[in-house]
This record gives sequence, structure tokens and C-alpha cells, in this order.
Amino acid sequence: MTRAELDAALARLGLAVPEGERDQIVAAAHLIENMVARLRPVSGRNVAAEPAHVVYFPEE
Amino acid sequence: MVDSRLDRIARLDGRLHSFIRVLADAARHEARASEAEIAAGTYRGPLHGIPIGLKDIYETAGVVTTGHSKVMQDHVPQKDAFSVQRLRDAGAIVLGKLATHEFAFGGPSFDLPWPPARNPWDLSRFTGGSSSGTGAAVAAGLVLGGTGSDTGGSIRGPAAFCGLAGIKPTYGLISRMGILPLAFSLDHAGPLAWTAEDCAIMLQAMAGHDAADPASANRPVRDYRAALQRDVNGLRLGLVRHFYERDNEANAATCDAIAAAARTLEGLGCSVREVTLSPLADWVACGVVIMLCEAYAIHEANLRRRFTDYGEMFRDRMALAGLITGADYVQALRRRRELIDELDRAMEGLDLLLTAAAPTEAPPIDAVGKFSTFERPLLTMPFNVTGSPAMSVRCGYTDSGLPLSFQIVGKRFDDATVLRLAHAYEQATPWRDRRPALQ
Repeated sequence: MTRAELDAALARLGLAVPEGERDQIVAAAHLIENMVARLRPVSGRNVAAEPAHVVYFPEE
Repeated sequence: MVDSRLDRIARLDGRLHSFIRVLADAARHEARASEAEIAAGTYRGPLHGIPIGLKDIYETAGVVTTGHSKVMQDHVPQKDAFSVQRLRDAGAIVLGKLATHEFAFGGPSFDLPWPPARNPWDLSRFTGGSSSGTGAAVAAGLVLGGTGSDTGGSIRGPAAFCGLAGIKPTYGLISRMGILPLAFSLDHAGPLAWTAEDCAIMLQAMAGHDAADPASANRPVRDYRAALQRDVNGLRLGLVRHFYERDNEANAATCDAIAAAARTLEGLGCSVREVTLSPLADWVACGVVIMLCEAYAIHEANLRRRFTDYGEMFRDRMALAGLITGADYVQALRRRRELIDELDRAMEGLDLLLTAAAPTEAPPIDAVGKFSTFERPLLTMPFNVTGSPAMSVRCGYTDSGLPLSFQIVGKRFDDATVLRLAHAYEQATPWRDRRPALQ
């Protein structure tokens, strides 16, 4: 992520991040990007691996 | 009992900073009431008259509950959190509100209205977090037990670094109502105490169905203390060695202490075999993405309105969280289902897992960086992802006298077996006999 991309993203989010902190956030962004990348296996994922289990409709 | 703890707080907490707010008058009033009750023959149980502390995310009726943040420094709840009321019903006396990382995530921070808590074993060291004040207060003997919360390790981390027993129970066992949330689907409430038995006593009081918490388990609460007495001979343990020997390399002292703990457990009649799971980074990626997204959603409005009222560590972590997409979150949920199934299959034929709780002893507090929680995969996070009961237990000391720990993990709703093994291990080892040498 570049500094310009971060600035654009923060503007969309409406977050008034102080100037002095933005370069640190850019430097750390790869840590989260790496985690996000791990969630998408190169070989794809079985469509049955889906999160319906998080939705619970009370029976009564 | 209460007076002795208040005296100890007055003498020591100026250096430990474990309390945000001491409720001396209220505690003495409760203590007198407890004495009268007990004298009249009404004994509520082992917590009756016992002084405890509450992590300052547990709403406490009429008492400011801040989340250790300027954002909520004037927040006075009308009623107790469900689990706080249950502790009071059991007769526990609330000595005060304990320091935490900001909203259970941003710490150790030095730019908040209150300083971070310090480790009683070495005041220059990190307590672990986010239940930092609870870890410090219990280890220093300022309270006999305390409440924590655990979204990625925030009970087990302080338990490990402060040399305590701390259990993250099964998800849903303890109500989350009235506890300031960090991540809805990962937050667990639980106790920290000096021993597994004390944790069992506190868990017994805190657990129970709460209709107001949609995730609250609706099942009878087991007698966790009675379950401690059963023999551990024959328990089948799986050792997840690669988590701490390859995926997040622990130091030699930690590895040696865990190996010794496994031998002790074998000596008690347990069997131990190695178990291989997906790399730790997979579990942590899943948990961290879910945690950041849910935390950001909770704080979104305040982050927009008053970003710099948050401490720098919390707010900049939230800035990163805001960059994660909805599709990323769904992928994390999908991965979560896979990982839950994987752990359940891995535990077939086993009763418990063992692994590390932390890769080292407590580091220096000023070595904990703003994004350090993302730099090495958390050894505790997998069991927040799966909702499994998991406990940190002391298993030795470094040459410089800092506590070392290991982690015991159980099947969901088999918290009793986790506590039973921890208790048996504690009874077979001398680690509980050493206290921090506070002057």
C-alpha cells in the first residue's frame, strides 16, 4: 500500500489520522495484507465452506 | 481480609498501576454485610467475602466503567454486567476496577488517562494484555481473583506473563452482556486467579445462561470445583509442538519448561502424542481479520467523530482495520468453519491439547510496539477462533525469576477437564509456592 492509497482510504473512511501516524500505518499495512491473502487459498475453497453457521434463527 | 487488601493496594499499587479505581468505602460496607450474613448462618459459598477486581470493561452499577479510554471516561452504567451480578450473588466483594488495554486491545499505552499496569515480577516488564490490571493485581496479591476478557489471548497472555492461572472458557459459557465488546464472535469472559481451583470457583459463579446474550449457552452449569478431584490418569493429550517450535518460535526456556510439563503429566498417568494442525498463521489470520472487522464496526462512529480521543495504539490499529473489506471478512468466516472442523477432527481420540501460551517470558514493557500483536502469530488465537476452552498454567521460571507457562485446550463445554488437568499439574509441581518479591 502506498501513502497516497492510504490517504485516499482514510478519507473515504472519514478517519482524521494525524500526519505523523500515517507513514507508520503504511509500513504496517503489509501485516494485515499478508493475513488477508492467507484467507484465499490458491487452489480455491470448497463452496461448502460457508458461514451459514453464524446465522441463528431462534426456533420460537 | 478486605482491609488487608486495601492496605496492600495503598502500599504497592502506586508502582503497579493495576487499579483505575479503588472502591474502598463500598468494599468495606460489603465486607461488613458479608460478615453479618455469615455470622447469621448464611454462607453463600467459597466466594463469600472474597475480594476481587473487575477489568474495567465490566459494567459496574453506579461506578464509572471506562474501558481505560478517554472516550468513555464519564460512562456510568445503570446496572452490573450479568457476570458481575453473579459474582456479587456468590458473595464476592468488588475492591475496584482494574486497568486494561484500551477497549481490551490498545496497549500497553502511555497516552491514556491512566498509566499501563506493571508486572509485579519485574516492574520494567509487560504484564501481557489486555487483562493487564487483573494480571498485575492478582499476582501481587492485591485481590484474590479477578475478571478478564479474551478475544485473542487477553486472559491467557496476562496469566502467562504474571505467573497465574487464567481460563478462557468455552464461548457462550459466561454472558457477554454488560462487558464492553471488542469482537462479538471472539469475546470470552473469564477469571484469572493464583490457582486452577480458584479459577474453577470463579467460573462456577460467573457461568450461566443469560437470555439477553444471544450467544449464551443454555445448558446446566457443571460443578467445576468438584470436578477437580477426579483423577487425570488415562487422559489423552495431544501436543501441538509445531505452533511454538516452528510457527512462532519459543525460546529455549519456554520449550524446555513445556517439555518438562508434558513429562510431569505423563508421570500422572496421561498419554501424550504429537498433533499437527494447519500452520498457526492460518488460525491467526482468520481470527485477526474477524477481530479487526468486528472491533471497527463497534467503534466506527466514534472513530469518525473523535479519532484522536483514542490512544494512538488503538486508533492506528483501527485505521488498519478499516482497510479490510467485507469480502475479506466473509473469507475469514469461511476459513473459520474449516478450522473449527479441523480442530474437532484432530481432537477425536484425545481429551485435551497442550501447546505454548506465549513464546517467551514477559518482555520489557517498552519493547511492545504499536503493531507487535500482528508481527508474530498469537499462540492463543486458534482457540478463540474455535470457541474452545483454553487455559494458561504456570510451568516454571526463567533463570531471572520470570514465570513461564503452557496452555491446555479442551473440547467445547468440557471446561471441567481443562481445569482438572491444570489442578493436577499444579498439585504435582512447586510453582505456586513462589510469589513476586514486592517491597
